[in-house]
Amino acid sequence: MSNIAAQRIQREFNEVIKSDEAQKFSIKLEMDGSDFRHINGEIAGPPDTPYESGNFKLEIKIPDTYPFNPPKVKFLTKIWHPNVSSVTGAICLDILKDQWAAAMTLRVVLLSLQALLAAAEPDDPQDAVVANQYKENRALFTSTARYWTTVHAGGKQLNPDFDKKIHTLLDLGVEKHQALVALSACDWNLDRALEQIFS
Amino acid sequence: MKVKIKKWTGVGTWSYKVDYDNCGICRQPFHGCCPYCKWPGETCPVVWGQCTHCFHIHCMAKWLKAQEPREQCPLCRQKWRYA
Ligand SMILES: [Zn+2]
Ligand SMILES: [Zn+2]
Ligand SMILES: [Zn+2]
Repeated sequence: MSNIAAQRIQREFNEVIKSDEAQKFSIKLEMDGSDFRHINGEIAGPPDTPYESGNFKLEIKIPDTYPFNPPKVKFLTKIWHPNVSSVTGAICLDILKDQWAAAMTLRVVLLSLQALLAAAEPDDPQDAVVANQYKENRALFTSTARYWTTVHAGGKQLNPDFDKKIHTLLDLGVEKHQALVALSACDWNLDRALEQIFS
Repeated sequence: MKVKIKKWTGVGTWSYKVDYDNCGICRQPFHGCCPYCKWPGETCPVVWGQCTHCFHIHCMAKWLKAQEPREQCPLCRQKWRYA
């Protein structure tokens, strides 16, 4: 790896560790061993959003050409959000693509992702199914996103109705995450979800 | 009158600290040189843009090449013009 990438990452780590956000446990960076190229990130779900009280893990890969090219970032924690793939965790965010600038840092990236959780951009979606629900049925989107936060990110809000529907599918031998994805994508309509899984 | 706060929404903001001591690209001090050079001084000068931001000349050259054909300041993303 080129000298500049390694040196910059080292400096950025020190900056993030000392930052206010890190003190408040709202963002976190950890190196995977001693390899500068593999970094584990974590952001707290912003208050007053369906992601509140959840912690979302991120995989951050630093290219050898950093900071001239952006880091490659994806969600490791499963999340229901119009700009994040519910399957792969891939993120649609302009600064991770053509709006990257060399003076941006990992701290700015993490804060921007937090801002994205607070304000989705459904017209520039990564996950069309989620974006559609966000636009067509906002209340259901919110409860679905909150439920995913509870199931995957350590959120605290329970939803017995959704639990029941998941269990109905589990009793039929469906794998848990598949059940969650199918029900979420079918607006929690059990018949449609069954049809999608068994067709 | 008593005011009771019913709801409080925290909104985080941030801005780029314009740092006049360090290059925004490599984050090394200007009194030293960029990571590509061994010795500070004449061989690694600082360049200024019309937006008033400055960087090591070698860092800036690398960025403009990486960003081709666009030419934007790495800090404020305005069109980069040498001052
Ligand atoms: Zn520099
Ligand atoms: Zn130089
Ligand atoms: Zn500028």
